[in-house]
Amino acid sequence: MKKKTNTLLILALIVGLAFHGSAIFFTLESTYDALIHLFFADHYASSWFDPWEYRWYTGFTVQSYPPLVHQLIGILSYIGGLKFGMYTVALIAIVLFITGAYRYTLLMTGSRRIAGYGAVMAVFSSTFVETLHIFGQLPSISALSILLHSMTEIYLWIKTGKTRYFITSATMLAVTVTSHHVTPLFGMVFFIAPLMGMAVMDAAREKVASYKALTFKIFWGTTLQHFWRIAKFGGTAIFLLVFCIFPYWYNSKRNPITQVAIPHGSRDNFLEITSSGLVFFIIPWGVFLFILPYFFYRYFSKRYVFFGLSFTLLTILGTGGTTPIPRMMLGEMAFNILTLDRFTLWATIMALPIFAEFAYRMVEGDLKILIQEKFGGVYHRVLGGLIAGGMLFMVIFTMTLGYFRPSQPAKIKMQPIVNFLGADSHDSWRYLPLGFGDQMAWLSAQTRAMTVDGNYHSARRLPELTTRAIERIENSKFRGVEGIGSLQQFLTVPEKYNLKYIFSNDKFYDPILYYCGWQRLQQLENGIMVWEKLNVAPIPQIMPKQDVPTIMKLMWGIIPLSTVLIAIFVNIQMIWVRLLKSRKVPVHAFMKLELPYNKFSSKLLTISHWWALVVLVCMGYGMYIFYVKNVTQLSPNNVIESYYDALDFKEFSRAHSYIDPEENINIAQYMLEVSVTDGILSSYAKLDSLGIEIYDETENSAKAKVATRWITPLENVFNNEFYELVKRKNKWYVKSLKVDNDIPPDQLFTANGTTYYNHGRRKITTQETYHEDVLKQPVLEILSAKLVKYKGQYSIIGELQNVDNTPADIVIKATLYNDDNKELANYNAKHQIKHKLMPKETTTFKINFEGIAWSSTKDTLPPTFDPDQFTPISFEQQPTKFNLQSAGNTANTDLYKHVALQGLEYTEQGFNGVLFNSGVQEVTIPQLIISYYDENSELLWVDHKFVTEGVRIQRKQFFNYTPLDLNNLKIINSSLENCFVNGSPNKAIADKLFPNRKLVHGKQQTQPFKGKGYEYIKFEINSYIGNPK
Amino acid sequence: MRNTILIFLGLVLLGCSEKKEEQPTEIYIPQTELISQVKNTIAGDAITFFFKTDAPNETYKLQIKNAYGSVLLKPNTNERENIEFNIPENFTRIAGPFHWKLVLKSEILEEGTHQIATNAQKATYVESYFGPRSITAGRNDFSMLTISPTDAYDNPLNNGTEITVKYQFLENIDELQITTDNFIAWYNVASTLKSGRILVTSECNGTTSKELATIVYPANAVNFSISASSAHTFADGNQIVTFVSDIIKDEYGNTVTNGTLVTFVIKNERNQYLYTVGTTINGVAEAKTLHPDQATTWEVQAFITGAAESNITTFKFKSAVKDYAVHFSKGNRNIDVGPFESFMKQLIPDGLLLQLDIYDANGEFIDTKKTTSKNGVSTIFLGEHFLEDGDYTLKLTAAGITKEFIINIHGETIK
Repeated sequence: MKKKTNTLLILALIVGLAFHGSAIFFTLESTYDALIHLFFADHYASSWFDPWEYRWYTGFTVQSYPPLVHQLIGILSYIGGLKFGMYTVALIAIVLFITGAYRYTLLMTGSRRIAGYGAVMAVFSSTFVETLHIFGQLPSISALSILLHSMTEIYLWIKTGKTRYFITSATMLAVTVTSHHVTPLFGMVFFIAPLMGMAVMDAAREKVASYKALTFKIFWGTTLQHFWRIAKFGGTAIFLLVFCIFPYWYNSKRNPITQVAIPHGSRDNFLEITSSGLVFFIIPWGVFLFILPYFFYRYFSKRYVFFGLSFTLLTILGTGGTTPIPRMMLGEMAFNILTLDRFTLWATIMALPIFAEFAYRMVEGDLKILIQEKFGGVYHRVLGGLIAGGMLFMVIFTMTLGYFRPSQPAKIKMQPIVNFLGADSHDSWRYLPLGFGDQMAWLSAQTRAMTVDGNYHSARRLPELTTRAIERIENSKFRGVEGIGSLQQFLTVPEKYNLKYIFSNDKFYDPILYYCGWQRLQQLENGIMVWEKLNVAPIPQIMPKQDVPTIMKLMWGIIPLSTVLIAIFVNIQMIWVRLLKSRKVPVHAFMKLELPYNKFSSKLLTISHWWALVVLVCMGYGMYIFYVKNVTQLSPNNVIESYYDALDFKEFSRAHSYIDPEENINIAQYMLEVSVTDGILSSYAKLDSLGIEIYDETENSAKAKVATRWITPLENVFNNEFYELVKRKNKWYVKSLKVDNDIPPDQLFTANGTTYYNHGRRKITTQETYHEDVLKQPVLEILSAKLVKYKGQYSIIGELQNVDNTPADIVIKATLYNDDNKELANYNAKHQIKHKLMPKETTTFKINFEGIAWSSTKDTLPPTFDPDQFTPISFEQQPTKFNLQSAGNTANTDLYKHVALQGLEYTEQGFNGVLFNSGVQEVTIPQLIISYYDENSELLWVDHKFVTEGVRIQRKQFFNYTPLDLNNLKIINSSLENCFVNGSPNKAIADKLFPNRKLVHGKQQTQPFKGKGYEYIKFEINSYIGNPK
Repeated sequence: MRNTILIFLGLVLLGCSEKKEEQPTEIYIPQTELISQVKNTIAGDAITFFFKTDAPNETYKLQIKNAYGSVLLKPNTNERENIEFNIPENFTRIAGPFHWKLVLKSEILEEGTHQIATNAQKATYVESYFGPRSITAGRNDFSMLTISPTDAYDNPLNNGTEITVKYQFLENIDELQITTDNFIAWYNVASTLKSGRILVTSECNGTTSKELATIVYPANAVNFSISASSAHTFADGNQIVTFVSDIIKDEYGNTVTNGTLVTFVIKNERNQYLYTVGTTINGVAEAKTLHPDQATTWEVQAFITGAAESNITTFKFKSAVKDYAVHFSKGNRNIDVGPFESFMKQLIPDGLLLQLDIYDANGEFIDTKKTTSKNGVSTIFLGEHFLEDGDYTLKLTAAGITKEFIINIHGETIK
């Protein structure tokens, strides 16, 4: 019989390549992982053998990820660039996956017809679509596809014991190992082990007449017969796993992952967090969910029983945190490191042949006949249509998920950033992108400049990163307090990392940048704002590097591609023969095991129907819950939630629709009122949690106390708002809050001011221009400095003046010492300081020592950093001395000083004050810096408060501030001895520039106020302007 | 044939056999003599060493060493009789001592020192630095001009080289001579009493340096005076009051730098310290703030912290709103306050703050409601779900006038 080409397979390949191959150009670049692989590929393209990569995390080794796919992209990039390489590899992966699924199905069923179905199903399997088009896991897909290919060879080796199968299977396994480490590791357990079981089972079956006659005894005997083959292959597999990526294991041993586990959606309880359930359960399973009973029925038949066990395990592990079983099975440690979605991926891939078999039986087999007999032909067509429609729906739904709910910020044009980094030696400093999503990897791939961040979290090295559960600083706002806390540490002490430039694609971070002393440099033509920090030294010429033995470098550079070459060489004949049918090949043993499929179990059909019903009911219930939660005006709770949701996402017309219609506020008026409120909550906050307390609820009215917690870049803001709610025509509405009617007296204002411009480099030259273009550092004077202890926390407080004639940008760094002059901690002033001072302006400051500031002395190190909570600790090593280093640099921006304190009244609720903006810039976030003094006008403490609403031009803003109780405050050391300005001793400056300082001025400018532990208080104002004009 | 090969191989093997040949140790040292008598040259001039020898065929080497580095030279092969060494250009350009050794097989035959002098005649370059780039007017600040004149090959000129320093301030141009010492010459340009810009330059052997400058900034300010002005003196909480200083100067009569921060501290009758800030332009600082909304007297004093203060100026605000009406309706739940009439009986501009403090019958504080006036009136509605029916004390405060009502709130629900 002449073998015919399998038309279904050809069809699957054509459709698969046309569909996936064209879709990847629109999806792959906005997936989570693809660009990371691209960055790695860029590394190999530029330095093949050196594994050290300086550009991320202040340096890390690429030997922390199997290199094959990266190296392939890297090699191909020489032909048509990195992206060409990536797409080419993706296309190869698609072909490998479809053919792999075909061969795997063929092996499992022994029917070329069903295998053809398997190939078609593989093209449209939602799990593949998700892995490729949403996650972009190229190495994982490639490794899995090769593993599927190798399964036939492994089977034949066990079954026949022919050396050529041993060689082919080993070469393929080597390729798998070098493309992804987890796939072969778990693949051994979940795919290869049951496969071997099946091979032995088949061998045992041949000894007896039927499966019924196949007893355990016979099976055991056959196993022993095949033992050496199994052992030989198992040993080889383990050897390949270790040897092929030996540098990887070496690196894992040397740099064990000690970091805090990062939460991953696949570990969530899918019932609670439905979005995770959708992405990590519903989408990968898709229509397979309805056919689960069939899978189990088939997989627990005698031949497949090992696959059945494996499939069950995978299914359960894939449920993540929904049930406690995966946690118990894997153990706490592994559970928190592994991403469990891959188990679901494997489970669905494992189910493919059985699904193909089901489809075959449904379309042209016994199931068709059974259904037609039982329910009629129409029902069969409808059912088939539903299943096919369901599959198509899942595919389209998955493909468009990224379109409707973008997981990434819009595509950023990188060229302006790359140009900026390349110009004027900007790449002599590190940079940090903010709000770039996974596109940061693409930026990194295009420039030689380095960043402190990175996108491969297993390789993080800085303690600022590894001690928190954040994957990137770049998206720290999505990680709440921890994320912002980590970001703040980088922003406060940037000189530690030579971090000078920040590219901000998310204005959310702007306030914290400003308050940490950064300044806007320019907006690039792609809309990215560049922030810079003054007084940061460039990266030193020689950087630390963790070297590995040359043999490792050679292994890493040579083995992976060699495995591919060897595999192609070994299998080329087989591929040739199979592809062109040039020669007749003997029919493989498993082909004889094709089932006749003549009687579909009627019972199974019934059970499947009931199961489908259960799934439908569950889904219906889920949708109902979704509806009830999301229908906006069903209850007082819902309307408040919806209202806040609309405000959070700035959908003001939706928000307006929840406002009581009888208040007659038209949409234009509402938009106007909303648009004039600016401030940290309306412009820079993310609603973190919403606590709604409904009380005084009647039939048609209710009151709500809404306790909100907002994540802002600066700190958590807790806010309480009181709403009145009314019900009209069965719908609940919110009554709007009153707006301020204040109007300024004049229409047109004039204002004069001094503005500054710094040329930077006056001569156009690529050479260094030394002293000609360097401005003198403005001279500062430290007026007072103290080490104090308050609520168990050590702080340096003080006061500082710009005594020069040019505006100054202030950086101030404090170091703590104990009695033995041992350094304990050092840190910079964060936001409790005015970073920009006009000539002769003063500022009070406070330096807190956050977690990372403390050197390794365990006694003084606070356990964890929480900005809202201080843990008093017992100290064996008391800080008793300090050193202050301040530096001024000429500032020319952010010098807006026109916010006045217009009213101040002390009431039982604290200070009620009024701010007035007398200038012509809108102040988005006013900050109050409050300093406390004793009876001698000596500084005691510095506190701050961010006023949540902005101060508009020529208008007032009210604030309330509750003064502190300072009775427990202890001044440990008050001295100006070790204070330095621009490297010079403070005293010398004071003597020279301010020999006759009028010390009484301090007292004359402070508010006498008899408080708990202090006599005077002073309010200073620092204004952040969101949109400078 | 085979024999031939065997013999040949045997010969080859013999040839490879190990045999140490005794090298006769020659202790013979040839007689050499330096012929070239030049001991001093000027930087840039070619230097050649000639040696006379009785064994011209030996491999002589000349080791030379100076500030440029050290190197082993081969003799010029064209010369047969004598040994001739040409010193590379790089070495001849560096001024200073120049050591040489004539070497034969690690034996030093001759050695000596040659002096290279700076070549000031060819050309002189002047490298100069001036800093700091800004200083303060007065008698104790200065900028230092540092000059390092060099010859064409970047050799510093000899000690005692004369340099002319010129500096200009306003109409004066001063000139003086200084001399180099240890490669450099320096001069402290003292600050002036007037603020301005001092330009300096220097000249050496006819070469002049570029223009360098330092800015003399004014010294610390001295006491100044301020005044306040506004459109009217009524406390309407809407107009803007402006504080202006006179021209603020330092002790030498210089106007303080633009941008100097002046803090205007306002103390009101209730001893509350308010403030507003201004920065100077041409010495004048101007700061603004809003009128208060109740009668009061402001005492204003301005400071340049640590340096100077102003006189205290007082500003009296008369009350703009003398009284207002309060009207209760809808079961005393609706409170209409106003119209607020200002000093000419006009309606007060929008935005006057009205505060309502609510206490229950026992005097327990319940809540505060705030609103602002619109078209001269303010309305507060206390919905029934906000306040139960009952007796309450309501304290209304606006424009500094507080009114207290004990009132029974009842009935009238929202539609």
